[in-house]
Amino acid sequence: MTENLNQTFAGATRYVLDDELAKIVNISMALEMPLLLKGEPGTGKTMLAHAIAESLKMPLIVLNVKSSMKLVEALYQYDTLTRLNDSRFGDSTRDVSKIEDYIRMGKIGQAFTADVRTVLLIDEIDKADTDFQDDMLDVLDQMEFDIIEIDKTISATFRPVIIITSNAKKDLSDPFLGRCNFHHIAFPEPEMMRKIIRVHFPEIDSDLLENTIAAFYAVRDFGDIEKRPATRELINWIRALQADPDFKPKQLAKGDLPYLGVLFKKSQDLHRAQSMVSRRRAN
Amino acid sequence: MLHAPCKVKRIMFVDFFYKLKDVGIPVSPTSFLTLHKALGSGLVNSLEDFYTASRAILIKSERYFDLYDQVFAHYFQGADLPDPEGLELDEVARVMLEAWLQNPEGLAEILGMDESALMKLTPEELIEYFKERLKEQTEAHHGGGKWIGTGGYSPVGHSGYHPGGMRVGGGSGNKSAVKVAMDRRYKDYSLSGPLNSALMGEALKRLRNLVPFGPKDQVNIDETIYQTMKNGGEIEIVFDRSLKDRLKIILAIDNGGWSMDPYVPVVQTLFDYARAQFKDLKTYFFHNTIYNTLWQDTARYKKPQRIDQFARLDPETRLIIVGDASMAPYELMATDGSIHLEDRSGMPSVECLNFLARTFPRAVWLNPVSASMWDYTRTITHIRQIFPMFELTIDGLEQAVTQLMQK
Repeated sequence: MTENLNQTFAGATRYVLDDELAKIVNISMALEMPLLLKGEPGTGKTMLAHAIAESLKMPLIVLNVKSSMKLVEALYQYDTLTRLNDSRFGDSTRDVSKIEDYIRMGKIGQAFTADVRTVLLIDEIDKADTDFQDDMLDVLDQMEFDIIEIDKTISATFRPVIIITSNAKKDLSDPFLGRCNFHHIAFPEPEMMRKIIRVHFPEIDSDLLENTIAAFYAVRDFGDIEKRPATRELINWIRALQADPDFKPKQLAKGDLPYLGVLFKKSQDLHRAQSMVSRRRAN
Repeated sequence: MLHAPCKVKRIMFVDFFYKLKDVGIPVSPTSFLTLHKALGSGLVNSLEDFYTASRAILIKSERYFDLYDQVFAHYFQGADLPDPEGLELDEVARVMLEAWLQNPEGLAEILGMDESALMKLTPEELIEYFKERLKEQTEAHHGGGKWIGTGGYSPVGHSGYHPGGMRVGGGSGNKSAVKVAMDRRYKDYSLSGPLNSALMGEALKRLRNLVPFGPKDQVNIDETIYQTMKNGGEIEIVFDRSLKDRLKIILAIDNGGWSMDPYVPVVQTLFDYARAQFKDLKTYFFHNTIYNTLWQDTARYKKPQRIDQFARLDPETRLIIVGDASMAPYELMATDGSIHLEDRSGMPSVECLNFLARTFPRAVWLNPVSASMWDYTRTITHIRQIFPMFELTIDGLEQAVTQLMQK
């Protein structure tokens, strides 16, 4: 494990990048192929892209995919409203007769037209439909797109480093996968989790840390849980425990787990977890 | 395709590729060629690198990571690799030809060849050409039969190759790739995992039938613009009804008998999901096969529902039957086949099933029994002639949904 900790956008948050991933990023860059990152929610896929950008010292452009998104929105936007406004009131420096003045680049467009090489993060691709995904990869393959309104082709000045994340349990389409390299981020091991928690709670006492982590991995192993708690839930749980003046870390070792609702967000899961916990205590 | 000579002796990993294919991992020849391109990039300098690179390039789902680890460990555990000659070359050239036929540009690009020049060749000539290229590549590597060599570490070390590439630390050398592979870190993600409701949700997501419904309260922007233009700029706002899911579903579950017992959890998950997801869902139960009656209660005696009443329902209703379809043949064929006395009504079950299939043209039968076993059970063969049958797995569910949503 390398210790090249990277300062990410959040400033205080640090991310530990591992070798394996660094290699995969390098190979994807050499092959000029997008890298698809998959993993459970809460494994820090998005954070990872930030860390990659940081370590490559390239600006990061983030395209947050939404279910209703059309591909053209990611490429460019023709701002008809401003043009209409200008034509009525004419108090801007823009030339109304030049449509080009009203074309705004979307995130992919920005990455193509940037004057340095950028990292383009396409976040949660699984939210969009299959057509969007395939069409987008066509654009990313050819590294160019047309602006229909002004009949102009935008080609990438520098081929961006493309990182795509997906939460989907289901696989993406075959043509899509065929054009990407793939990496799956496993849920952090307890060892890693300790590091992560220490980053978030530098002052945490080791008694609390050890007990919460042990309890956390124990409840994660409960069967029949639909949405297993992830890093985010653990952090919130520690916050909740710290806020409770009556709480003692030893309670956890005895199987007394307060605030399970912070860990389990679905009522069915919470129910199952609670009955599981009380059964364990009874034994 | 060949770049700077590489320290590591490498050979065509044809065998490795086919091993992966044999164990059922969907690896495409195109990605195999991409891997070769990666090997030529100077970034793959040790077995560790190869492990990572070939996984990132060849394996596209974490579900296969565990299988990959197993094949990798088995294959590279110090074993001598056979020379990539003769048969294997033929084989790979043939695969390349297939890939070529499907996607000429892609392959030409990967090989760095001129597409139009290759277009003129006959298939036989093409195969010869591919073979030449492959031979050229293996020979250039000084014929190393063993991939793991002492010289297997690049002088470049900390991957200084790529300007602006990511720094790779040197700390990982204490664990070999084979060791890492043998750890089987991805066991939990393999295909044999349980079918949970999140996975089911994914598969059933497309099972929807959106139709306009309710008050006209949504502005149709395209239509509004069109009508406004037609009016010469006088604004004309057009409203539409919003789309609602009006799909009606009947779910019939075989919940009787020991033969279904092993599948209770998976059926339960399907049932839970369906209940939460579909607004217009009717669930019924039966034992082994359907006679005149389905039951609304799991114990199958309180609330009977005669199936002839179904004729009055919307024929657009999707019928999903879940059962192992395994029983004694007479239960299906005989007029008094039911093992339950009260069901003996004179009509053989097969007739009842035919009636249901006629009433609801869009019906599927989901069978938790593995498809490879279907041919060994007579009643499954019979029922498959009545209903399209799919395995109760993620893939099967997806196919079933496609079948149900067909126009």
